Amino acid sequence: MKGNARFTERETGQEGLIHMVQLTIDDIAVDVPEGTLVLEVALAQGIDVPTFCYQKRLSPLASCRMCLVAIEGAAKLQPACVTPVMDGMVVHTATEQVAKIRASMLELLLANHPLDCPVCDKSGECELQDMVFEYGAGVSRFQDEKRVFHSQDLSLNQVIIFNSNRCIQCQRCVRICEEVVGAVALGTVEKGMDTAITGFENSLESCDHCGNCIEVCPVGALMSQPYRYKARPWDLVETDTTCPFCGTGCQLTVSARDGQLARVTSKYETGVNGETLCVKGRYGIDFIDGGDRIETPLLRRDGTLSAVTWEEAYAALREHIGDPAAVNGGRIGGLASAQQSCETLYLFQKMMRTVFGTNNLDSSNRWAAGIYDALPGLFGDLYSRRPLDELLEADSILVIGSSVTDDNPVSDYLIRATLRNRTGKLFLASARPSRLDKDSTAHLRLLPGDEVQLIALLDHALAGMAGEAAAPLGEFVQQAVTTVKSAASVTVLVGVDLLRAPQANLALQWLERFLRRLRGSGKQVGLQFLFDRSNQMGAWEMGVLPGHLPGWRSLGEAGFEQAWGKPPPRMPGADIHAMLERCADGEMDLLYLIGSDPLAAYPDRDLVEKALSSVGLLVVQAAHHSATTARADIVLPGAAFGEETGTVIGNEGRVQIIREIRRPAGRARRNMEILTQVAETFDCDLGAATPQEVFAEIAQLVPSFQGLSLGDISAAGALTASTPRVGGEELDGPPMPTRSNGLRLDNGKLMLVTGDCGFHSGFATEQSATLSGILKDSYVEIGSTDGQAKGLAQGDNVIVRSGRGETRLKLRLNKNFPPGLAFIPENFAHPRLNQLFSQGEYPCPVDILPDHAP
Amino acid sequence: MYEKILLKNLETPGCHDIGTYEARGGYKALATVLKDYSPGDLIELVKRSNLRGRGGAGFPTGVKWGFVPKDTDKPIYLCCNSDEGEPGTFKDRALMEKDPHVMIEGMLIAAYAIGSEISYNYIRGEYTLSIERVETALHQAYERGFLGKNILGSDFSHDMYVHRGAGAYICGEETALLESIEGRRAQPKLKPPFPAVAGLYECPTIINNTETFAYLPHIVERGAEWFRGIGPEGSPGPKLYCLSGQVKKPGLYEFPMGISLREMVEEHAGGTHSGKVKAVIPGGVSAPLIPECDLDVGMDFDSLAAAGSMLGSAGVIVLDDTACVVRVATRIMEFFNLESCGKCTPCREGNDWAAKVLRRLEAGNGRREDLDQLEFLCDSIFGTSFCALGDAAAWSLGAALKHFREEFERHIDEGKCPFH
Repeated sequence: MKGNARFTERETGQEGLIHMVQLTIDDIAVDVPEGTLVLEVALAQGIDVPTFCYQKRLSPLASCRMCLVAIEGAAKLQPACVTPVMDGMVVHTATEQVAKIRASMLELLLANHPLDCPVCDKSGECELQDMVFEYGAGVSRFQDEKRVFHSQDLSLNQVIIFNSNRCIQCQRCVRICEEVVGAVALGTVEKGMDTAITGFENSLESCDHCGNCIEVCPVGALMSQPYRYKARPWDLVETDTTCPFCGTGCQLTVSARDGQLARVTSKYETGVNGETLCVKGRYGIDFIDGGDRIETPLLRRDGTLSAVTWEEAYAALREHIGDPAAVNGGRIGGLASAQQSCETLYLFQKMMRTVFGTNNLDSSNRWAAGIYDALPGLFGDLYSRRPLDELLEADSILVIGSSVTDDNPVSDYLIRATLRNRTGKLFLASARPSRLDKDSTAHLRLLPGDEVQLIALLDHALAGMAGEAAAPLGEFVQQAVTTVKSAASVTVLVGVDLLRAPQANLALQWLERFLRRLRGSGKQVGLQFLFDRSNQMGAWEMGVLPGHLPGWRSLGEAGFEQAWGKPPPRMPGADIHAMLERCADGEMDLLYLIGSDPLAAYPDRDLVEKALSSVGLLVVQAAHHSATTARADIVLPGAAFGEETGTVIGNEGRVQIIREIRRPAGRARRNMEILTQVAETFDCDLGAATPQEVFAEIAQLVPSFQGLSLGDISAAGALTASTPRVGGEELDGPPMPTRSNGLRLDNGKLMLVTGDCGFHSGFATEQSATLSGILKDSYVEIGSTDGQAKGLAQGDNVIVRSGRGETRLKLRLNKNFPPGLAFIPENFAHPRLNQLFSQGEYPCPVDILPDHAP
Repeated sequence: MYEKILLKNLETPGCHDIGTYEARGGYKALATVLKDYSPGDLIELVKRSNLRGRGGAGFPTGVKWGFVPKDTDKPIYLCCNSDEGEPGTFKDRALMEKDPHVMIEGMLIAAYAIGSEISYNYIRGEYTLSIERVETALHQAYERGFLGKNILGSDFSHDMYVHRGAGAYICGEETALLESIEGRRAQPKLKPPFPAVAGLYECPTIINNTETFAYLPHIVERGAEWFRGIGPEGSPGPKLYCLSGQVKKPGLYEFPMGISLREMVEEHAGGTHSGKVKAVIPGGVSAPLIPECDLDVGMDFDSLAAAGSMLGSAGVIVLDDTACVVRVATRIMEFFNLESCGKCTPCREGNDWAAKVLRRLEAGNGRREDLDQLEFLCDSIFGTSFCALGDAAAWSLGAALKHFREEFERHIDEGKCPFH
């Protein structure tokens, strides 16, 4: 039953062998590929066949019996959702008997249903209501007492509230939790009429809180706690937009009532995510109401920040910088957050280049130095600007250096769901254990930084050269290469762990070499990054880079001077590392940050402290207060997520729209508007100013955007185009990496890694009331055996001490962690995690000691 | 009198012990098979005998074996369905308690025929003595070289395990049984694929009933023609019948297929206590009851099907004229309601409502429209449920309503049960 029409067509299409069968459905003759389900044929023909238990990406159940149809020659009615077409089949979906049975099933379902629609949150968008309206009998014969599981709704956790009496046993929730999310937190107990959905010990305290079970629930059985009794569905104003958190780029719908955020939902078969979202996307959007919004421009006077007008703020900036013609671009730098829109990022780099004459630009606090040398070779012809679900149809999939389960939960779902229905094999290498481990053919624990060894060994093994590596690395390589060699298609997904570690530049060079070798051997090769921030790819494509203009074009390349009316500087600029060092050395007059919070996020707090105190002027354009805004000389309040329109480029290379839900808070302004006004302050005109105008300029200058216009971008987004190969000739063997000691530390130290945890994204979601309700405090997580060896137990207070500093946290033990590994989420301001790190050292060796302080 | 085939050993004390079993000719058929038969020959033999499955559905055993893919690289599993949960049925229990080796020998013959090296005997959890006896018997069979590697010096190796059920009737449904062995929630699975192609752990799997296996050594020893010579052409062979209810001599009987229900009840079981028969449930509670006027029906698969009922598990439950059909129907519907796995809408919801209405009706609080409601429920469940459990519930209730409607009406009209 694994065949669906789409697969059959594509797969056999490639081989040129489409087996078509002809059938008649309600007197319409149709030809469809063999294996298509009767339900799929009906839906494609616009014939409505009702279903409850059927959901496209879930395993078939055929239990609700709503889709029973008449097939000539069959003694009984047949469930359309699992019956494959046969040549010559004659199907009737609208006979008297079919209609009678549909009405019967609904009458049976309603017999025990509480019919408490007036107090049910689902009322108005309930599939059972709709179905009864369409197909139901209208009256019920049943008068005996209804079954009642409980008289009050059960709170299963912070986000899920449950009414078992309304459940119709479609099992969509159980299946999505197991087959797509992989959490297996929901199950079914008892039998017959006592059958009930539940979590272990009637609780879902330990589940993902992703709420996908709520999303797929056709009735008001599983409901959202934060949305409880907030609105009736028909009172909601819905806005379709793109999730602001990771690079997966999920489509979501923000619903507001009277201008107040009410809930976030996902839509069936919409976006890369379909009906799913992760906990961050579904419940973290309330960070926009988190209460730390900057609502007015701020200016430091006599050492303290005080509210000023926009005019005063701009005037102070102009006064400090003076005549822009006289400034030295080398002493000015700009840092942007990779969560700003493409339009803002584009305008930002245009302003920095044309107004301030600098190429000192960067878009992340976290990546290792040197990656911008290696990236252009990947972003030309190798990067797959294609839907992820297509890439996942490859015969073999390699995930390298990504905690995909936490960084990109919905990509994790897609990988799991695809593997269930395909024969493709997954090889996964990451520092932290992944939920995909058990879906993989082989998995490997390796420290950030050791990806380069792995990729170099893969490349060697593919070329038939002997590489030496001890198990388990050697075994993993051998298994992966054996599979890859016989595969016609290979997809490599690269995570952000790889980008953080010192040898990232080398790892990317080896990655390019490996991918070109795969391609050279005739394989279909796919590559995508798994970015943990929504618009990292956009920041790079928009040229927020020290050495490249928009579209990865070289400094000095023609066309920009004409478009911008001013030539961009030719001298390569400094990346964030060099900029901070120069600031610390007193060599910088201005640091302009947009959404960036280096004081909290850059992995060397001492250096940032020194840099921020030594820079001439610190301007921070941001929506939310942060550690860095507290140090600024001028704070310019920008729009938060949902307060302006713009686009982002997700990991698929897909341009998607983030829409305006409400006006900027207080006196905050849209980010592009601020940039335009800053330029005007210096008597410069940035030209394009509206999202449409800026997008049009991007489309003109960035090759991958050619032919796109903002107005044409539909709900499905628009894929950017691959561009010709950038950079040099066949990579001639990058230098072999230096070998790390991996996780074998002998002095009791552990290697500390960081990243997003499953409940938060960056620092933004600390302001989410719902997510903070689920996880409020940071923690340090280590392997159970390491914990035992140190005499430490779950929940102990511990001190984490590095060569640079220490922090106090609660300990978590995880039996799946490899020995020698420690993890602290990078999502919490309080522990000042970055004070443990020093520039260029990642991961970082730490001691974990009992904290006896009261 | 009819020749006792299976009862011969059953009625011999101590036959659960391998010594007694061997002394009475046990395991000779296995030796013959390993020496003289190719798997293909064996399948042909069983096909020729026209042995039909004794679990209830009556599917030809040899034909089922033939569905195992020939060129599979997966292991082939054999399962014995000893979950005997059908009310009124106790034949497999008697076999396992008193003559477990004949089942083991039959399973080994089947395993050889289909090329299986591993088998599971799924035994109803409440059958503690059966489980004990079968486990002891397996132990003895291993000791004597009838199980394990290179059985009797041949190339054939086989391991056999007991899997205890945990108290759910649905596990007697073969796909639910397989789910249960795999450690999952026992619910029926979609067919196709049929177990013979993708069963236990997605591997080819043959599932036969305990009694079915027990005939195999006899067929090997006495030939397909002997077996076919007993009973009607379409469903031949001897058969165990479990007689219970209001008869003078309840118990386990063995008769050729096809003898009349009347002969069975009136001659062999000594008739009813009251001297009159109201109705007989011929094949466990899944089988629609047969009113007295139809008692001449032959007790075999085809004759009972033609009479609107089924042989099922051959659990013959006799009601005399003091029995209340409404109470019987209520009890049966309560059973199906309790044992519905809850997967599909009609069986889960429909049985529950039918049981509620019946309980109220039996208690004397019935309404005229209840009968329409029960008929509506039968119509809604029959033919729409995922597996045969719902069908059985609706079918048996439908028969009670059809043949004894006036008893239901009397409950309503009199406001009480006229029999109690």
